[in-house]
Amino acid sequence: MSSRWRRIRETGFFLALPTTAWLALFFVLPLAIVLFVSFMSRGRGGVAELPFTLEHYQRSFGIFSIILWRSIRLAALTTVICLLLGYPLAFFISTRRRRLARHISLFLVILPFWTNFLIRTYSWRILLGEAGLINGFLLHLGLIGEPLSLLNTQFAVLIGLVYGFLPFMVLPIYASVERFNFRYVDAAQDLGANDARTFLRVVLPLTMPGVLAGCALVFIPSVGAFVTPDLLGGTKGLMIGNLINNQFGGSGNMPLGSALSIVMMAVVMLSLLVYVFGNRRERG
Amino acid sequence: MSTADVQLIDIVKEFDSGGERVRAVDSVSIEIADGEFFALLGPSGCGKTTTLRLIAGFEQPTRGRILIRGRAMQGIPAYHRPVNTVFQDYALFPHLTVEKNIMFGLQMEGVDKREAQKRAQESLEMVRLPGVGGRKPHQLSGGQQQRVALARALVKQPAVLLLDEPLGALDLKLRKNMQYELKALQRDVGITFIYVTHDQEEAITMADRIAIMNAGELLQVGSPKEIYEQPNTHFVADFIGETNFIAGELRGRADDGYGAVTLANGAQLRARLAASLAAGSRSVTLAIRPEKIAIARHEGAPAATAGITQLEARIIAQQYIGTDTRYTVDIGGGIRLVARVQNTGAIAADTFAEGQTALVSWSDSSATALDH
Repeated sequence: MSSRWRRIRETGFFLALPTTAWLALFFVLPLAIVLFVSFMSRGRGGVAELPFTLEHYQRSFGIFSIILWRSIRLAALTTVICLLLGYPLAFFISTRRRRLARHISLFLVILPFWTNFLIRTYSWRILLGEAGLINGFLLHLGLIGEPLSLLNTQFAVLIGLVYGFLPFMVLPIYASVERFNFRYVDAAQDLGANDARTFLRVVLPLTMPGVLAGCALVFIPSVGAFVTPDLLGGTKGLMIGNLINNQFGGSGNMPLGSALSIVMMAVVMLSLLVYVFGNRRERG
Repeated sequence: MSTADVQLIDIVKEFDSGGERVRAVDSVSIEIADGEFFALLGPSGCGKTTTLRLIAGFEQPTRGRILIRGRAMQGIPAYHRPVNTVFQDYALFPHLTVEKNIMFGLQMEGVDKREAQKRAQESLEMVRLPGVGGRKPHQLSGGQQQRVALARALVKQPAVLLLDEPLGALDLKLRKNMQYELKALQRDVGITFIYVTHDQEEAITMADRIAIMNAGELLQVGSPKEIYEQPNTHFVADFIGETNFIAGELRGRADDGYGAVTLANGAQLRARLAASLAAGSRSVTLAIRPEKIAIARHEGAPAATAGITQLEARIIAQQYIGTDTRYTVDIGGGIRLVARVQNTGAIAADTFAEGQTALVSWSDSSATALDH
């Protein structure tokens, strides 16, 4: 390594400078403004004005707590379902002996990304609607007498979220299982662990980094999702993302929207803490 | 030797490899006695590790039966077999402490936590590693990890301990020490050890009996001495130690297990016939260990006696290697032999110079006639 490269390696802070400046200007500064605004009063037309108040936080945890909890619950459910679907799939893909089989499978997992997220979510409206494909099929079979109300429910939101975020669960778990040394399975079985205990005591703990990363990647965007609940949830499936979105519209309330944003960020930060501590414990 | 602890009866194991059936283990039958230190020896890919994995239950035989303490193992999963394994790379669970690694197997048996801790402690003392229980495997040296792997397997008090090249990853000096320790440990605990290795020296110094495998086949089973002194195939003679091979023609067989052999240069001699030698074999290979060949000057050489082969030779090259001197000699007709002579003299008085002629001799029982 030349001395020039050694210098870059040791004191190359300028490498991080562009990104730091970018984030300071377009992330830290706006965030500070949002935090500031969240403590201000609502003026005419929804804009912020003095004096300072805690009113918006009281409302966030007050009448809007139903929606906050619904968002957390839906995101948590999405995460659990993605984990239950994604872990076996990731395990299957990463244990294919042939490289080609693994690569094709991974390609199929990320294939939906080739289509715009909005279009894919709209498609679910066609599937789930009262005159949609699913109801039509069930009616045709005579399994139901009248169409089910699938659309504009929390159930529809859940389907949409799981559909949208499943690849984010599969990919990190795939990476973890691929690195997993199956000699440990031999060792566990050799020491008397049956298949279930081998999985719970050895395979799962050793692939936990992938599981935690997958959960974080699914939970965090799910909490703040607003396209999916907007298109599939109606009023019953409203999530905190929609609520925030509405506050910044024509008849909105910018300080309230800011407070809700800060609360949502706090939820995300808390879940990230779980991720960090979970990871540290695994590494010991 | 008491009762058979492990019996392999006509075991065949085939694998699918790119649409082809590959025979990793080919009709192997072995009986291993209770308390025996048994080595499976062979080059890589000979089927020795597969054989071990079949006993452990990680693989199922395509054909044949495995009995452990008289009980058929067919359909019995690895986690219900009375055997434990020390893996080549140790396979210590990286997310568990050393103590929890050792307790793992006990807890699977339902031993309560306090008792398991106590026994883990004892087994760490047995492998002379007290006080590392709280550490993670990656904080230990290779030699220490090896001992932990041993403790983890032995704490289960298995009927049979399977060891898959357990010393392969250690450096030479540590390996030598561990050889003695393993052997002593095996005597202490009295458990049957089945030890897979490709290192012939390791097998010879440690094992009570050795099975030599090549290309999935079992070639010879015997004590280290039998394997070394009476190899019954060309492969075994070649794999274990250094050997001279000379082509010859078998002229006649005697009732005492010896035969008359003529070499290409016309020399006539007697040699022990290997048990495996095919009944109709005419053209054979003689195997003679270099250290069995003595070199003497013409003057004062002992008169030829029955049971001794003595031939004229010319010294081609000599190489001093400390304890021994290695001579390459020509016994006529371009047939070359290597002889190892111990340097027992006070000064190198008995040495021979290149170009000098001498007499080489060996006991007839040291020359074994084998199929090619």
